[in-house]
Amino acid sequence: MEKEELFRQIADAVVEMEEDTVEELAQQSLEDGIDAYETIDSGLAKGMERAGQLFDEEEYFVPELLMCSDAMNVGIDVLKPHLKSENVSKKGKVVIGVVEGDTHDIGKNLVRLMMETGGFEVLDLGRDIPPAEFVSKAEEYGADIIGIATLMTTTMPGMKEVVDILADKGIRDKFKVIVGGGPISPAFAKKIGADGYARNAADAVKVAEKLLSNTDLALGA
Amino acid sequence: MDVLSPKERLLRSLNGEAVDRAPVICPGGMMNSAIVDVMKNHGNVLPEGHRDSKIMADLALDVQADTGFENVGIPFCMTVEAEALGSDIDFGTLKCEPKIAKEIFPSVKDVIYKEDDALVKSDRAGTVFQAIYNAAGHSPDIPVIGSITGPLSTAASVVDPMNFLKELRKVKDESHRFVDYVTNQLIGYAQHMVDNGASVISIADPTATGEILGPKMFGDYAVVYINKLVDAIHEIGVPVIVHICGRMQAVTQHIANLHADAISVDALVSLKKLKEEYPHLTTMGNLSTFLLEFGETPNIQRSTEQLIQDEINILAPACGLSTSTPLQNIQTFTGAAKAV
Repeated sequence: MEKEELFRQIADAVVEMEEDTVEELAQQSLEDGIDAYETIDSGLAKGMERAGQLFDEEEYFVPELLMCSDAMNVGIDVLKPHLKSENVSKKGKVVIGVVEGDTHDIGKNLVRLMMETGGFEVLDLGRDIPPAEFVSKAEEYGADIIGIATLMTTTMPGMKEVVDILADKGIRDKFKVIVGGGPISPAFAKKIGADGYARNAADAVKVAEKLLSNTDLALGA
Repeated sequence: MDVLSPKERLLRSLNGEAVDRAPVICPGGMMNSAIVDVMKNHGNVLPEGHRDSKIMADLALDVQADTGFENVGIPFCMTVEAEALGSDIDFGTLKCEPKIAKEIFPSVKDVIYKEDDALVKSDRAGTVFQAIYNAAGHSPDIPVIGSITGPLSTAASVVDPMNFLKELRKVKDESHRFVDYVTNQLIGYAQHMVDNGASVISIADPTATGEILGPKMFGDYAVVYINKLVDAIHEIGVPVIVHICGRMQAVTQHIANLHADAISVDALVSLKKLKEEYPHLTTMGNLSTFLLEFGETPNIQRSTEQLIQDEINILAPACGLSTSTPLQNIQTFTGAAKAV
């Protein structure tokens, strides 16, 4: 089979949530001597990107997106031991978490998933995270982006607190802040001084790419 | 003077009968108004009140008296059901509501099934029943609403939610068996709430949203099990409110299939449009809780008047209130609702 055809079939199998097919095709790519990174990038990640697109278009929902991700991971498990170098270039570092007081992390988990697939390095702080911890962990990790999620209106003020702490410490310019989640609107993001608003997990990747492409960091990379 | 008592008004509204004006309520559970202001005013506080029936009942009555909502809502959280079925709970603080610390099972395939009355027999449920009994005896004209966490949200608080959502598609038989088991537990819970004096049951199921599940899974699971629960409560002779979180476009076609007596929705949904599309629906909602926390008095007043003008049948906050919502803002809301 042609390489491109194989990649297309792998991407299709991810979109179709066919774990067994993904596994077979990933094995075949190795037998054919195709570079493992290329198969991940042009096959598996491409499929996941399309799944994200379908999610964005409300053709797929959370259960489907998670199953596509499982299928992708089956392929990655097969290919990972054959990656030639660990020095795969990353687009940027992201610290992500759910605001203190909110334990709903389905949305945040989807953002992590799509960010990782989209080529970002992600540190997932988890759920119920105090504002100060977003800042300290972002500094420690050397993050480019801080992603803050909430599902509940009650915890929205915690997002503003993160931005305020950054400003107080004089390090606001070091990070791009992206907010998102059920009750969040672009107007709210603007009001609290965030850099970006992500409508959903697929959108988060685009917003992150856009924000970083406007910085010296991304230009110099 | 009002012609109808708050209880008559709410029950008539839920039954589609004529009323002098729309009731203004806050059902409890996910949507409770045990705000810091009220707790500080009277000294009946959380988290203690989650496990003490006297504090729970007294706080619910304080909330009703201070806010002007025309009901008593019990309990104040969404963890009673999951704790009884085995999950670990973090009871939170005065300002921060309880939450699931850890779901007990990683997968629907790992669930160890308990007897169908495990929830009813749990300590937490006992506290809730006693509190409902106390509150109902206090003022017969004020309806007590028993609040229940819906089947899918309870299920996703007992099994790890990321796995649970996948397994709704991947492991259908076991998922149905598990959600059915959870629903049976909830039916018993509702029955005992009613036996102890609840005159309305309110179900909030924030995991069962169109945004998370999509139309297919919402139809296959949410509609099926919420209706099973609603039907069972109807057999006891009590009306049911169902609250659906989030945006609804993906599942609007299913909303009319829910057997609930009123559909309560989030702030993002236009109740006016929903009414136009499904004129027979009894609608409830949906004053923004963000507005309630941060809004100016005239804005709260105006938004309340808009809901009345749109002929929303039951006025209520759109979602869970922040515990730091100022009491005065809630009073503005209930005052405007009653000024008709």
